[in-house]
Amino acid sequence: MKHKSRARLSNGLHYFYLIAVCSLILLPLAITLYRAIVVEDQGRLSISFDAYKMISEAFWDKVGVSLSISVLTVVIDVLVSIPAAYAIVKYNFPGKRIILTYLNGVWYVPGISYGLSLVLAYFFVFKFLLGFWGFVAAYSTGFMLLTLMTSIVAFRGLDPVYEEAARCMGAGRLTAFARVILPLVGPGVTAGVLLVLVLSLNEFITALLLTGPTRISTAPLHVFADIRHAGIRPFVAAEATVLQLVSLTAVVAYLKLFGSRYLRGTILI
Amino acid sequence: MRGGQAKAVPLLAPALILQTLFFLIPISMIFIVSFTSKDTFFFEPKYTFDNFVRMFRIYRIDFQNTLFVAGLAGVIDVVLAYPFAYILLRHVRRFSDIFRAIMIIPLFGELYIAYGLFYLILPGGPVANLLELLGVPALQVLYSLPMTILGMTIYTFPFAVYNIGISLQGIDRALEEAALCLGASRAGAFLRVILPLSLPGLISGWLISFGWNLGAFAIPVLLGGPILGSRVLSVQIWTTSLVTSDFGMGAALGVVIVLATVAIFYVVLKLTRGVLV
Repeated sequence: MKHKSRARLSNGLHYFYLIAVCSLILLPLAITLYRAIVVEDQGRLSISFDAYKMISEAFWDKVGVSLSISVLTVVIDVLVSIPAAYAIVKYNFPGKRIILTYLNGVWYVPGISYGLSLVLAYFFVFKFLLGFWGFVAAYSTGFMLLTLMTSIVAFRGLDPVYEEAARCMGAGRLTAFARVILPLVGPGVTAGVLLVLVLSLNEFITALLLTGPTRISTAPLHVFADIRHAGIRPFVAAEATVLQLVSLTAVVAYLKLFGSRYLRGTILI
Repeated sequence: MRGGQAKAVPLLAPALILQTLFFLIPISMIFIVSFTSKDTFFFEPKYTFDNFVRMFRIYRIDFQNTLFVAGLAGVIDVVLAYPFAYILLRHVRRFSDIFRAIMIIPLFGELYIAYGLFYLILPGGPVANLLELLGVPALQVLYSLPMTILGMTIYTFPFAVYNIGISLQGIDRALEEAALCLGASRAGAFLRVILPLSLPGLISGWLISFGWNLGAFAIPVLLGGPILGSRVLSVQIWTTSLVTSDFGMGAALGVVIVLATVAIFYVVLKLTRGVLV
């Protein structure tokens, strides 16, 4: 009996700790949402979505720009990562570890330094990228690691017997890849899609450096500018929640569909 | 082996080209520009070591501030993340996916973390009145070192959890059970078996948090106030290069942060035997 109540107490303490830490993590989003939708009128609190109606059209335009950049980034990263991950898992060749480290290189460089290096490269080498495509190129390179790692994890978890069976039954290399392997690794690859989408939508520091030379602004930059000019006015809080809620919806939808198993070992434990 | 290489090259080529064009070339340029004076690189480059010589004198306080806040945030991260990862992996089944999913939220970006905490403490914000009741001026708390460190701690917490978690997952549970069978208490088994074996994860968790916070920008700007907010390396890189057009010095500061983080990731890769964040 005593043992049972002790176990219950210990279990309760475990949950209490996890909930306390998660509350701290959620605090900034929760408090921003509170500012955006809770209105105080003569001491009474009520919920109103008026702050969202006060968001300027310019912000929604930039949400469109951010979404376009993110979708293109996801498409490029998936197209580039899947064959690369397949090669890394399937074939043995000298320098494989070095190549993998090189492909993950951007992840080792702080955004502020990477952003500055891109500004210099766009001014001197890739002048044609001083615009929308400059963002797409930067984000595709910066976030490729995420689709690459999730694809590698997915390919590693795939039994080679399926491909061999398809080849034995007469399928060509490409057919076996497209009709057997891709459908099997698809759910694993989607973990990378989710992460690239969420991170590129909200990317701030690289955008801050690129916005000058490219003359392109994104939604996070618009939020930053409004924070500096309008501080904590409700419409700024509403702007700050828009992309966070879009990202949160994507995460929740993903977890409903696939659970967390494909994200584990890539960015989650 | 050769056959493997021939088949792998075309599959790897698009990724390698992308990285070469938009990572290797730009990063090489920041190294070159760091050895030029002011904005001369744009016209007629004047090569010099002066940026690296002057840097530690001019930006000594910025180096100190950056290392201190990033280092302390990393320490708080691992202190909080160790029990979090341990409980999540060993003791919790129900709702574990929800706890895991919440770890994605700080990845939405430091800007939103900084803004949420900014409103929380700002006069008129939810906690400001409570602070005033306690006799603490809200502005003193808002633009302060602890708020900056709190923001950074939240920002990099998932990386610490991940590294520690991966390390804990690699420990065979039979070792802990063997220690218990041989008479060790639970605390003894933890301190003498689990903790030493998970030490690489603990160190790499700290290093990763530290490395990411070296480049944090919005958190010091919004929560550090006029003094700390303008005297960290990331803010100096931005102002020096893009506001005052001293691209040489900005690039030199950028190079120092790059080298520091590359060294950190190298140690982490060694400790985790190649497991990446």
